[in-house]
Amino acid sequence: MKLELGIIKISDIQFAAESKVEGSTLYVNKDEVKALILEDETFASCELDIARPGESVRIAPVKDVIEPRVKVSGEGGVFPGWMAKVKTVGSGRTNVLKGAAVVTTGKIVGFQEGIIDMCGEGAQYTPFSQLNNLVLCLEPVEGTLQHAYEKAVRLAGLKTATYLGKLAKDIEAEEIRTYETPSITEGIKLYPDLPRVGYVLMLQSQGLLHDTYVYGVDAKQSLTTMIYPTETMDGAIISGNCVSACDKNTTYHHLNNPVIEDLYARHGKDLNFVGVIITNENVYLADKERSSDWSAKLCEYLGLDGAIISQEGFGNPDTDLIMNCKKIEAKGVKTVIITDEYAGQDGASQSLADADIAANACVTGGNANTVIHLPKMDKVIGHIEYVDKIAGGWSGSLQEDGSIIAELQVITGATNEMGFNKFSAR
Amino acid sequence: MIILTNNPDVMKTMTERDVRFVDGTYRDVLIKARDLVHQGHQLLSHPLMGSLKPNETPYRTVALSDSGGPLDTDSLLLIENAIETFDKFAKVTRPDRGVNTPQEMLADFRLIDLSLIQSMEVNE
Repeated sequence: MKLELGIIKISDIQFAAESKVEGSTLYVNKDEVKALILEDETFASCELDIARPGESVRIAPVKDVIEPRVKVSGEGGVFPGWMAKVKTVGSGRTNVLKGAAVVTTGKIVGFQEGIIDMCGEGAQYTPFSQLNNLVLCLEPVEGTLQHAYEKAVRLAGLKTATYLGKLAKDIEAEEIRTYETPSITEGIKLYPDLPRVGYVLMLQSQGLLHDTYVYGVDAKQSLTTMIYPTETMDGAIISGNCVSACDKNTTYHHLNNPVIEDLYARHGKDLNFVGVIITNENVYLADKERSSDWSAKLCEYLGLDGAIISQEGFGNPDTDLIMNCKKIEAKGVKTVIITDEYAGQDGASQSLADADIAANACVTGGNANTVIHLPKMDKVIGHIEYVDKIAGGWSGSLQEDGSIIAELQVITGATNEMGFNKFSAR
Repeated sequence: MIILTNNPDVMKTMTERDVRFVDGTYRDVLIKARDLVHQGHQLLSHPLMGSLKPNETPYRTVALSDSGGPLDTDSLLLIENAIETFDKFAKVTRPDRGVNTPQEMLADFRLIDLSLIQSMEVNE
């Protein structure tokens, strides 16, 4: 399967009378987007705002970040199962508005965290401070239940990203990036001497506000399965996860998975990137056993020499991570795990809630308990008043001058377990 | 299946199940679960389910097998690790767990806890 990504660089977003992409500016007709979102009667109101790199702006609580993309050629459409039919994606050409994102915010539950600062210390910890963000502030009609609100916000984000993506459908991109995965047998013939490496992508799937969807299917109801890496670039996997800001995989992460990017960069050179195995992180131990058995079985079936395993979240998923690692290693397949740490504010405590001797090659996304100081911003988009109630905050976190002292875990994407961040350790 | 909980919403909602209310803290639920593990019950749900940190939500629900058998060492390791993790969080961060928390937020914590323990029903 072969996919070309047409990279259309966006360096600014402006509100305007007509939505269009001109040069590197994305112009957005505010009223049109609002009308589109308010078609959903779940919402009482929808406010749009723009947050650009370097501005004194704080966005919170961030639910999801989504990159606008559009299918130019090839089967299916971006975000299959949601914004397009379930037809298999991942081939042909897709245009990407690189440098732009849709950020959704809404107080679905009171303790929801997720801060993006566009400047200052906090901006260094989140990749999303480097993007031009169209922010949707979505308020539900009174009496809306959390389940319904979450779904509506999720869909509003996808809808808006799809609307923006379509503006770039007929643009001839100057930069084309090509990704190709041969069939298993072709791969063996092409690279008989290279180690066969797979990627086990663990998807958060515990329940309300902890979900991920694949082609519209709730991942908790799926068996471990396989996916072409390019399918993820067309939005086959989307996030429905609202908690654990620092180590959740937003839809943006799934579209731009750095493990997939790096494995492709080395594919055919020093390794043969065979494919992606997607598995879930359920609450029940029997589900964990079944899913990790299947991960290991598929690694064996594909004749892998090595596997990279990435996690999403903390605590319960640590057990899935270690089960996957142990069982895959037991099949004779070398593993590297990617996780993050909750090692205490001094970094001295045990980092994971589970461990095993087989997990002897580990990449960390950083210590989520690290204490940071976020200066006051001139403008806040969303709600910040509960910062002392969220996981990375405590009483007095929100200072009188508007600055925040909290743990790194409040920042969206700060310790991402796909490695889409700058933190690590040696 | 035995369901141990300190979440009144689980008690009220999952009436078809053998729900045993623990009048105490998140940690008390873990300790009670460990007692049952020592009596031979197996853990069925992960004691640290959810991405809410142990020093964040005051509610906890754990599912265990009905009948006791020989000690299940996997369950014992898991529950001991969970207690250790709980204590680590209680020590190093935000000791005011559940205190001064607005009622509305407590209701959200109860809802998440209930929803996660109910997630088994989709695959049952």
